Amino acid sequence: MSTTAEDVSDDSLLVLYVNGDSRAAEELTARLGPRVLGVAMRVLGNRADAEDVTQEAMLRLWRMAPEWRRGEAQVSTWLYRVAMNLCIDRKRRARGGHVDLDAVPEPPDTGRTAAEQMQDGARQDALQRALMQLPERQRQAVVLRHLEELPNPEIAGIMDISIEAVESLTARGKRALAAALAGRREELGYSDG
Amino acid sequence: MADEDKTLQELEDLFAAAREDRPELPHHLSAAILADAARAQPGAVVRQGRLPLWRQLADAIGGWPALGGLAAASAAGVWIGLAPPSFVPDPVVLAGYEDSSNVLGDGSYEMAVMLNEDLQ
Repeated sequence: MSTTAEDVSDDSLLVLYVNGDSRAAEELTARLGPRVLGVAMRVLGNRADAEDVTQEAMLRLWRMAPEWRRGEAQVSTWLYRVAMNLCIDRKRRARGGHVDLDAVPEPPDTGRTAAEQMQDGARQDALQRALMQLPERQRQAVVLRHLEELPNPEIAGIMDISIEAVESLTARGKRALAAALAGRREELGYSDG
Repeated sequence: MADEDKTLQELEDLFAAAREDRPELPHHLSAAILADAARAQPGAVVRQGRLPLWRQLADAIGGWPALGGLAAASAAGVWIGLAPPSFVPDPVVLAGYEDSSNVLGDGSYEMAVMLNEDLQ
């Protein structure tokens, strides 16, 4: 029975990296990079900034690796936390930032018609715009809960708040999103039927 | 109430669609992250062979600020060696030699005049 890189935990990969295994860095990058990039794009609404945050967060992971204590926390939780803090720093520096529609990923080609794909794109744009209207912490909580599907205790650890606070932030965020999108139902192709 | 439920369901559908659209790492970003990983890897100094030796030495002692301090300290050392302040022991004496001077006797007067004429 052989062990592939996919079978190895993030913890173990980090140890392998410290011991000089460059393939461990490749696997960690492939595993964690897209997740950090996705969250940063949703939180920042800007692809270029999200890429910078992703690179910086991963760099901090490499630098922290020799001090990592196995079993104390999840590597992904630590990384999300770093990424969220970097996002907050960026938003503080660039108050009044704009929504970059390039940040919204293109919908995958699922064999749907061009009109349907355009409508999917419009809906995702609308979601991103609505997300950007939320207060910073609400947006983070909603993205981590509903787009990354992380459990509330992990989100609490990432955001350094209580589980109750996470529940409150996600509930309020979701209500605000629903309200923002309610006025655009027809425009987005949702029928009343 | 029904409208609110419908909107919340549509929101859930939007979340689901967004989850499927997770971005892939662009090649340039992936390459940059892996380059950082190689540089930050413990023991990676050996792999930084592209840096010239003087640069590696400078980095090892702390970069440009340290080099500036080193240059200033060296200059001060040379200056103190050449012209020691009065409260510093004479290095010539410390080295075991005696300070001496040669005084020309009266008989050398003519030679001094000749040298002076040569210079003129």
